Amino acid sequence: MSLPAQRAQRMPIHEPVAPAVAVAAPPVLATADFSLWYGTHQALHDVTLEVPEKSVTAVIGPSGCGKSTWLRSLNRMNDLLANVRTGGAVLYRGTDVYGHGVDPVEVRRRIGMVFQKPNPFPKSIRENLTFPLRINGVRGRYDEIVEQALRRAALWDEVKDRLGRGALELSGGQQQRLCIARALVTEPEVLLMDEPCSALDPGSTARVEDLIQELAQRYTVVIVTHNMQQAARVSQHTAFFYLGRLEEFGRTRELFAKPQKKRTEDYITGRFG
Amino acid sequence: MTAAAELRAPARLRHRHRKSSLFAVLAASSLGLGVLVVVLLVFSTLRSSGELVSMRATATAGLSLSQRAVAGDSVQAPYVGIAQVIEGSSAMAVGIADGDALLTIGGTPVEDVHGAWRAVGSLPNDQELTRVGWVPHLEALLGEVELEPIADAPGKFRPRLAWLPDDSLLAAAGIRSGDVLLAVNDWPLLGSQQSWQTLVVAARQGAGPVQLRVVRDGVEQAVSAEIRRTGELTLQRDFLAAIWHFVTALDEPRYPEHAGLSSAILGSLLVVLVTMLFAFPLAIGASVYLEEYAKRTRLTSVLQVLIANLAGIPSVVYGIIGLEVVCRTMDLGRSILAGGITLGLLILPVMILGCREALRTVPPWVRHAAFAVGATPSQVVRHQVLPYALPGMLTSMILAVSRAIGEAAPLILLGAFLYVNYRPQGLMDSFTVVPIQIFSWATYPQAGFETIASVAIVVLMVILLLLNGAAIVLRNRFQLRW
Amino acid sequence: MTTLTAIPRTPSLAAPRRRRVVEAAVRSTLLGCGLLAIVIAVLTAWTFFAGSLPFFSKVGFAEFLGSIRWAPITVPEGYGTLALLADTAVITGIALAVAVPLGVLAAVFLSEYCNPRVRAWLKPILEVLGGIPSVVYGFFALRIVTPLFQDAGLDVGFWNGLSAGVVMGFMILPLMASLSEDVLYAVPRSLREAAYALGATRGEVVVRVVLPAAMSGIGAAFILAMSRAIGETMIVALAAGRTPAWPPDPTQPMMTLTTTIVNIATGEQEATAFIWSALFAIGALLFVITLTLNIASHFIVKRFRELYE
Repeated sequence: MSLPAQRAQRMPIHEPVAPAVAVAAPPVLATADFSLWYGTHQALHDVTLEVPEKSVTAVIGPSGCGKSTWLRSLNRMNDLLANVRTGGAVLYRGTDVYGHGVDPVEVRRRIGMVFQKPNPFPKSIRENLTFPLRINGVRGRYDEIVEQALRRAALWDEVKDRLGRGALELSGGQQQRLCIARALVTEPEVLLMDEPCSALDPGSTARVEDLIQELAQRYTVVIVTHNMQQAARVSQHTAFFYLGRLEEFGRTRELFAKPQKKRTEDYITGRFG
Repeated sequence: MTAAAELRAPARLRHRHRKSSLFAVLAASSLGLGVLVVVLLVFSTLRSSGELVSMRATATAGLSLSQRAVAGDSVQAPYVGIAQVIEGSSAMAVGIADGDALLTIGGTPVEDVHGAWRAVGSLPNDQELTRVGWVPHLEALLGEVELEPIADAPGKFRPRLAWLPDDSLLAAAGIRSGDVLLAVNDWPLLGSQQSWQTLVVAARQGAGPVQLRVVRDGVEQAVSAEIRRTGELTLQRDFLAAIWHFVTALDEPRYPEHAGLSSAILGSLLVVLVTMLFAFPLAIGASVYLEEYAKRTRLTSVLQVLIANLAGIPSVVYGIIGLEVVCRTMDLGRSILAGGITLGLLILPVMILGCREALRTVPPWVRHAAFAVGATPSQVVRHQVLPYALPGMLTSMILAVSRAIGEAAPLILLGAFLYVNYRPQGLMDSFTVVPIQIFSWATYPQAGFETIASVAIVVLMVILLLLNGAAIVLRNRFQLRW
Repeated sequence: MTTLTAIPRTPSLAAPRRRRVVEAAVRSTLLGCGLLAIVIAVLTAWTFFAGSLPFFSKVGFAEFLGSIRWAPITVPEGYGTLALLADTAVITGIALAVAVPLGVLAAVFLSEYCNPRVRAWLKPILEVLGGIPSVVYGFFALRIVTPLFQDAGLDVGFWNGLSAGVVMGFMILPLMASLSEDVLYAVPRSLREAAYALGATRGEVVVRVVLPAAMSGIGAAFILAMSRAIGETMIVALAAGRTPAWPPDPTQPMMTLTTTIVNIATGEQEATAFIWSALFAIGALLFVITLTLNIASHFIVKRFRELYE
C-alpha cells in the first residue's frame, strides 16, 4: 500500500485515553495503571507515569525493582517471554500498545530499544543498518540513510571507511553506538535504553552519555540505569522504582537535591543498594 | 615417621596408586578393545573383498565357476565345476564348455572355487596368458552311459559306455563303445555322474594320464588315458575394471562373479532422494515451529518427550507402520515412493531433535535485537536465525540420511525384493537397496557371494564415510562461534 | 522533524493486511509440521491396534505370552511368544554383557583420563563405528565371528545366538559409551574436587565418587541400550537363524521378536489376513516393550538431572 494511501486510512482503533497530565496533544508515551505478572508473581504494580517528550528520562532503583521490566513493557519486548500477563495500558500517542488489534511489530518501529550488552548482528556494519529497512520493504536510498543514522549516533567518522567490515570487529563502545544507530534507522519517536553503558569502559561511557544528550533534541529517551551519577548527569527527569512500584517521579535536579519520599532519599544517599 | 616421609607415599599408598593405575589401564583397554574389534572386522572384510579382482578375471575370460564335490564310498573330494561358459568368450574359443570340470590354473591344481581364485590372484602378472587344464563334461567324455547292476553289491551300478563320441578323449585313448568302466587309479567307478566326478578327481591327482581298468567283451584291460584337456586363457586382473563392473552390473543370483550392485545403488539413490524431499522440509518446519513460535506450554513439553521417544523406536516397527499406512492405506504399494516416505518417517524425529539443537545454538540476544527493530517473527527466523543455524541443521540432516541409507529392516518389511534384476525407472517401481542386497548375498551359500557381499559393504561404508565426513566438515567450517 | 526514512506505517498501530496474512500463513504451515509428530504417534497407535485386533480376538493373551510354541503355519497352529521372548532376552543379555562393562569403562576413560587432544579424534572414531549399518555387523557375525568361534573350539552351529549377541554388543558399545560419557560429564566438579581434597587417588575418585553419583544416569543409558538391542533386526536375521530355541541355548539358532516379524513379512506362504495380524501383534508387543523402556529411561534421566542441577 502506498504511503499516501496509508495515511488516508481510518482513525486509530482506540479513542485517546485522557492522560494524567492535561496537555494539548496526546503525550508521546505514558503508562496508566500498568501492572505485570510473571506467572503468579506480580512484578509491576499500577505504574502511572507520563514520559516528557524530547528529553531524557532516567529510571533508577535497586536490583529487582522492576525498572527493566517496565522499560521492556513499553515496546512489548516482554511478549517474547513465557507466562507474562499485563494489566493497565501503555499509551503511545494515546493508543494503548497492548490494545486489541495492535501489532507489536508496528509498536517497535516507533519505539526503539538499545540493550545492556551491545548486540549488533554478526554481519557487516552496513547490513546491521540496512536490515530494518529491508524488513520494512524500503527500497533504495540505503547509503544516505546509513550515513545519516551513523552521524546521528556519532559513529560515522570512525567507520565510514569500513562499512563492509564485520560489526563484531568494533570495540564495545562502538558496537553500542552502532546499536543506537540501528535503532534510529526506523525513525522512532522514542528510544528506550536498558543500562546501555554498564558493559562499557569509562571512556566509551562518556561518549555514549554525550550522545544521549544530543539525541534528546530529536527523540524522547528513556534510560534505565543503576548508576545514579549517570542519571544525574544525563537526564532532565528521573523516576525512582522500588519493589515494582513507581515511588517518585520528578525533575532530576529536584529529585536528587530534595527527594520527597524517604525511601528515595535512602536510595540516593546509598543506605540501600 | 616424619611428615615428609609420610607424604612420599608409603607402601599402602603406593598400593592404592597402583590399583588406581590398573583401573586407568582397564578403562583405556576397554575403549581400545571396543574400537579394535570392530576395526579388525572391517579389515577382514576389506581383505576378503580383494578376491573380487580374481573373480572378475575368470569372469571376463568367460567362466562361471561353481563348487562341486564327489561324495562316493571310496573317494570324497571337492572339485570346481564350470557352470557356464559365456558365448564368444576366450574360454569358449579355447574349447571349454558348460559342465566341464576345472582342474588346474597355471599349473596349480584347484580343489575349490576359492582355491581357483587364489591361484588367479597369485599369478605373477596382472595380465597373463595362463595354461588351464580341465576335464570335459560327462556327455563329451563318456557319451551315453548305461548302468549295469553289480552282482554282489545291490544298489550299485557300473557305468557302461553305450555310445562313446568319436571325439571323446577316452576314444582317443583307445576306449570303445560298449566298454564297462571299472576303476580309475584304483578307485572304483560307480554310477554315471559319480564315475565322471571320480575321473575328474583322479585326473587332478597327478600330471600324467589316469590309469583305467575296463571290461571289454568280458575281458578286463588296463588303459592309460589322458582325459585332461589344456588350453591358454588370458586372465586379466584389473582392479578398476572389476570395481566398475561391480558398480554397473545387475544382480545375478547364480554366478557371483557376474553379479553387480547397480540396481541396488540406483534403488538406494532414489529412495534416499524421496526421503530427503519428504523429511527435510518437515524437519525444518517442525523444529522452527517448536523452537521459535510455540509458547512453552505443557503441550510443547509433551511433544518434546514424544519426539524423543519416537526417535528410539526400532526401525523394524517403522517398517510395519510404513507397511500399513504407506503401502496399504495410501496405496503406494511396494514402491520407491513408499520406501522413501517410510524411511522419512523413521528419521524425522531424530532430525527434528538435531535441528532444534542447531536452532538453540543461536543466542537469544540476536533474536531480541531483531525484534527490537520491528521485525516480524518470520523475518527474525528467516534473516537472523536460520542463516546461522543452517549449517548445524544440515549436519544433523546429513547424519540422519546416512542412517537411512544403511537401513534394511523397514524396507524388507515393505517388500523391497531380495533379488531385483532390473534397474528401477520410476518412483512407483519395485526396488532393492544396498543394505538389502548385502543381506541377501550374505545368505547365499555359493562360493563367491561372501566376497561380493564384502565388496558391497566396502562400497556402502565408503559412501557413508564420505557423507559423515561432509557433515563434520560442514559443522566445523560453518559453525559460528558466538 | 526531518524524517530519516519513509518506513510505511499504519496510523493505528495495527498490522497491514498483507503482513497479517503472510505471518499467519507461515505460522500455520510450521504448526502443521510440528503437529506431524502427533500424527505419526497416532498413526502408530492406530496401526498396531487395528492391525492386531483380529489376532488378539482369536488368540488370548495367555497363549500369546505364555506358550512356547510359535508355529503360525504348521498344523496344529501355535501362537505363543514365550520362546521368542526368551531368545530375545538371551541375545540381548549377551549383547549387554559385552556393551555395558566395556562401554562404561570406555566412557570413564574418555571423560576422566583422556586428554582433550586425543579425545578430539577418538570420539569421532567412536561415532563412526556406531554409525556402521547393522546389516554390516550381521555380516561380520555370520561370516567372520561364527567361523572364528568354531575354529576356536566352541561348539556353535552355523546359525547361533552367541555370535549375534556378541557382535550386537560391539555395535551398541559406542551408544553406551556416548550416553555414559554425557552422564559422567554432568556429575559436578565439586564432588570430584571434594574427594581429591580428602586425598583420594584418581581411580578412587572415579570408582567411589563419580560412578556412584552417575549410577542412575548410567542406569538410564543401560535401559536405552537394552531397548536398542531388543529392537535390533539385521544382526539376528543374518547370524542367528530362523528357528526359535527352547530352552534358549545360544549355541543354537535363535529367533527373536524382530526376526519373527521379518520372517512373516518375507514368508513364502500365501499371506492370509490372520498371519499379517500376527505380524502386527508381535510388532505391537515389540513397540510396547521398547516404548516402555524408553519412557522409563527418560524419567530416570529427568530425576538424575534434577539431582544435579
